Amino acid sequence: MYADRLLIIFILGTYLLSPAIIEWWSEGGQAWYRPYLIWLGLIALSYWITKSRDLDGL
Amino acid sequence: MDYSFSQLFLIAAGYLFLLFLVAWVTDRGLLPARLVRHPAVYVFSLMVYASSWAIYGSVGYAHGFGFNFLAYFLGISGVFLLAPILLAPILRLTSTYQLASLADLFAFRYRSRLAGALTTLMMLVGMLPLLSLQIKAVAESIQVLSGEPDAGGLALWYCLLVTLFAILFGARHSTTRGKHEGLVVAIAAESLIKVTAFVAITLIGLFSVFGGPVGLNEWLNTNPEALERLYQPLQDGTWHSLILAFFVSAVVMPHMFHMAFTENLNPRALMTASWGMPLLLLIMAFCVPIILWSAIAGEVDQAPDYFTLGVGALGGETGAMLAYLAGLTGASGMLIVATLALSSMTLNHLVLPIRRPRQDEGLYRFLLWVRRLLIAAILAMGYLLYTATSEQHSLTELGVLSFVATLQFVPGLIGALFWPGANRKGFFAGLFVGFSIWSLGLLVPMLGQREQALFFLELLGLQAHAPTTQWHYVAIGSMALNGVAFSLVSLFTSTSQEEINTAETCAVDSLRRPFRWELDARSVPDFQQSLTAPLGPVTAEREVQQAQRDLGLASTETRPYALRRLRDQVETNLSGLLGPSVAHQIVEDHLPYRPQEGGSSEDIQFIESRLEQYRNRLSGLAAELDTLRRFHRQTLLELPMGVVSLGTDGEIIGWNLAMERLTGISSRRTIGSRFDTLPEPWSSVLGDFAAADVDRIPQRETRLEGQTHWFSLHKSRVQGLVPGERSGGLVMLIEDVTDLRLLEARLAHSERLASIGRLAAGVAHEIGNPVTAIACLAQNMDRHSDRDEMEESAGQIIEQTRRINRIVESLVTFSHSGGTSPIQGPVSIHDTVEEAIKLLRLDPDRKRQRFDNLTRPEHLAQGDPQRLLQVFINLLGNASDACDNEAPVTVGSDADEQSLEIRVEDRGHGIPPELMHSLFEPFATSKAPGRGTGLGLALVYSIIEDHFGSIRVESPLNDHGGTRFVITLPRYRGSN
Repeated sequence: MYADRLLIIFILGTYLLSPAIIEWWSEGGQAWYRPYLIWLGLIALSYWITKSRDLDGL
Repeated sequence: MDYSFSQLFLIAAGYLFLLFLVAWVTDRGLLPARLVRHPAVYVFSLMVYASSWAIYGSVGYAHGFGFNFLAYFLGISGVFLLAPILLAPILRLTSTYQLASLADLFAFRYRSRLAGALTTLMMLVGMLPLLSLQIKAVAESIQVLSGEPDAGGLALWYCLLVTLFAILFGARHSTTRGKHEGLVVAIAAESLIKVTAFVAITLIGLFSVFGGPVGLNEWLNTNPEALERLYQPLQDGTWHSLILAFFVSAVVMPHMFHMAFTENLNPRALMTASWGMPLLLLIMAFCVPIILWSAIAGEVDQAPDYFTLGVGALGGETGAMLAYLAGLTGASGMLIVATLALSSMTLNHLVLPIRRPRQDEGLYRFLLWVRRLLIAAILAMGYLLYTATSEQHSLTELGVLSFVATLQFVPGLIGALFWPGANRKGFFAGLFVGFSIWSLGLLVPMLGQREQALFFLELLGLQAHAPTTQWHYVAIGSMALNGVAFSLVSLFTSTSQEEINTAETCAVDSLRRPFRWELDARSVPDFQQSLTAPLGPVTAEREVQQAQRDLGLASTETRPYALRRLRDQVETNLSGLLGPSVAHQIVEDHLPYRPQEGGSSEDIQFIESRLEQYRNRLSGLAAELDTLRRFHRQTLLELPMGVVSLGTDGEIIGWNLAMERLTGISSRRTIGSRFDTLPEPWSSVLGDFAAADVDRIPQRETRLEGQTHWFSLHKSRVQGLVPGERSGGLVMLIEDVTDLRLLEARLAHSERLASIGRLAAGVAHEIGNPVTAIACLAQNMDRHSDRDEMEESAGQIIEQTRRINRIVESLVTFSHSGGTSPIQGPVSIHDTVEEAIKLLRLDPDRKRQRFDNLTRPEHLAQGDPQRLLQVFINLLGNASDACDNEAPVTVGSDADEQSLEIRVEDRGHGIPPELMHSLFEPFATSKAPGRGTGLGLALVYSIIEDHFGSIRVESPLNDHGGTRFVITLPRYRGSN
């Protein structure tokens, strides 16, 4: 439970700090598909976490 | 493009018919269950999210607002990536309490019909723009492809078609309770077509315009401004509002709520969706800029909102048809699911609270027809909004309007899940503030009443904006003020107890401590009887039977615990049929709890079962505590002694494994019942003991399967769990001591035989004297001639013979005593002590000890004379062994109304201190090896216990030693 709360705070923090991310992103000059690669990385991470998580709670 | 309107309409009808066929085949069970419940089906069904806006509007949005379009895909991906912590609790809540919509959730959580009604009303208002967006997208795509000038007419036909299919899909059955597997599979198939078509259009653009990825890169290098136009708008500040709006849409949008929670066929599939859904969205989002650039580079002659159609057309007729189908699938899926969800919400929260069917009207039929009418009405409203606004507003404006409206439910939802302190007054205040700002800031200006809105908004310090320009201020402002109003009002107003209870049920990390109340209804037929008034006899019977089946309860069930669960299940099931508000009202009114004096006790089983469900979600300290709880529970469960715990109201709340073995009754049958429902002899054994004043019955004789058993019973009051709380009930320990009892009897018998052996020489000596006397008398009789002398000798012989008889009788009686007979009548302590002294004197090895029997002849004890005789033989024998002087062993007695106190005292060496604590245990002895068995005092203790008496020892009595045994026995109180 505490872990969940911490995670929620972390998400909120990331959301509030996102202007910095946006700034980095909108600077341009990199491959246009870079955000998609990061997104794909997150999906892979989520897949890995889901795989290893004990799902009896659901 | 050369398609006629009728061709396109027929394609739409044919496509929808195909979808219906998929649904029908699924509902008929013609598809394997493994496929229907496969997580991939769930993931694709969730892609109902990607409506026609994803197909058409997102490309137009990317054209106007650059990479901001990604928020639409990223926002909802975010919530799914966090599904285990954000969506799983909602899924658990909705499936446990059969909550079919956000309005159900709010009505349930805030215990208010009004909350459900307001949510429904605002959801309807908020969703209409999104519905009209779909209608507009399809109508305009047909217009683009066919060149038909009258888009309104096309839209009307399309709406009629969708109404028909929405009714066929979702309103063939009266209840939303069951899952619509057909709908889920059809929507999943639809999404598969949609995503495939969208990817195909992208490939068409990529290869027909650029000749492949390399060409695209070269084009981007030569046209850097195309990329720049995507980056530029990121700085305009709307990103945050967009991400937030789409982040929460997974829960607040009725069609998403419906597919993600209400129609979830397999809870574990949510975990697959946590990465599957973002992956599908990533694929679609990746296609958007390619389609945009293809349209720009290919100089597609369309409005940006319909670039997808234009790019598709670059691939010829098939491409155009794919683009049309992609938009059609997106729009139809969303329209059907959203309309079904909204119709259920409206039925449960707006219609049924106002008008319930009469008893004779047939509940199921009534529900079915009202739902069908509502589907038609909602789609009609969507169409009307479309005709009122279609000219002036783009797809994006309509979409934004809807998404910002649904943001207003976010504070209420966060409160419901994470803040037990939130209350309904706060919820209403927040909704009122949020929706007022939304209406004035976005809705009213869009409807062309800009001036009126402006005035009010300026009063609030906000500016009315056109939806596509600075709308994000309204979005964030309305939600923030909504949240502030919600929090402040919740903090400073009172909350009803009922609401607090439900709040704790809903809160993610809270375990409520429910209380057990007793129901008025005492049996399953009582339930049916009570529900007949509101539901009619047929529905009442069917609903009660359904709830029984769901819980696996028998019709003969009368356990209070089971009936409470049945009541909850009936409410849950009715909630699926009529919505939680109406269901709650019916159950409250017709299945009430009985008013109980002095409160009630906690529902331990309920807490336990919830803890079991939560097990895998516990971490850190909570997980450690849970492990500890399980350890203690397991210890209690596997204790080799029967443990029964009772609540304050006499309900059995614990029944361990040893108890199951002992009684042959499973805990499943006993938990939640009372002793009087148990079979005999347990009903009386346990019931009598629970009611008795004593805390211990050492040996309770019971006939079990034709054999006599002895049980040792103990009980103790349990203190309340919280300091200051009243008693928490009773705990009882039951042990089968039959073996011990039989062993004891055997030991006692051996001990007696050993004593007889020791006595044999003495007996021989004792008998020898009268026999010698008889022999002398008999010899002398020859010489007696006188009749008187003869008679005297004969009398003496008879006297001596009687003496022998008495000795023999004493021995025989002693050797046969010690059965397991229950307590008998009055026992004279004085005579028993005398008899014991006499027997001890028969022992030739024993020194000539003096015994002073000072007990009063009128002191009578209640008990078994032979067993008490054994007590005194053992005690006096020990006392005599301990004395190495001439001092006498004295036995005295005292009495009060209820009991006798008998003291056996010697002036011996006393008992060694190290032996004092184990004195009454078997084989504890201070005598030299071979002198004593160590069983004597254990036997004494056991006999006294059986007589409901007590024994204690005091030693030393003074500096010279000395020991006193004090026995308390119940006094004989006449024949009664």
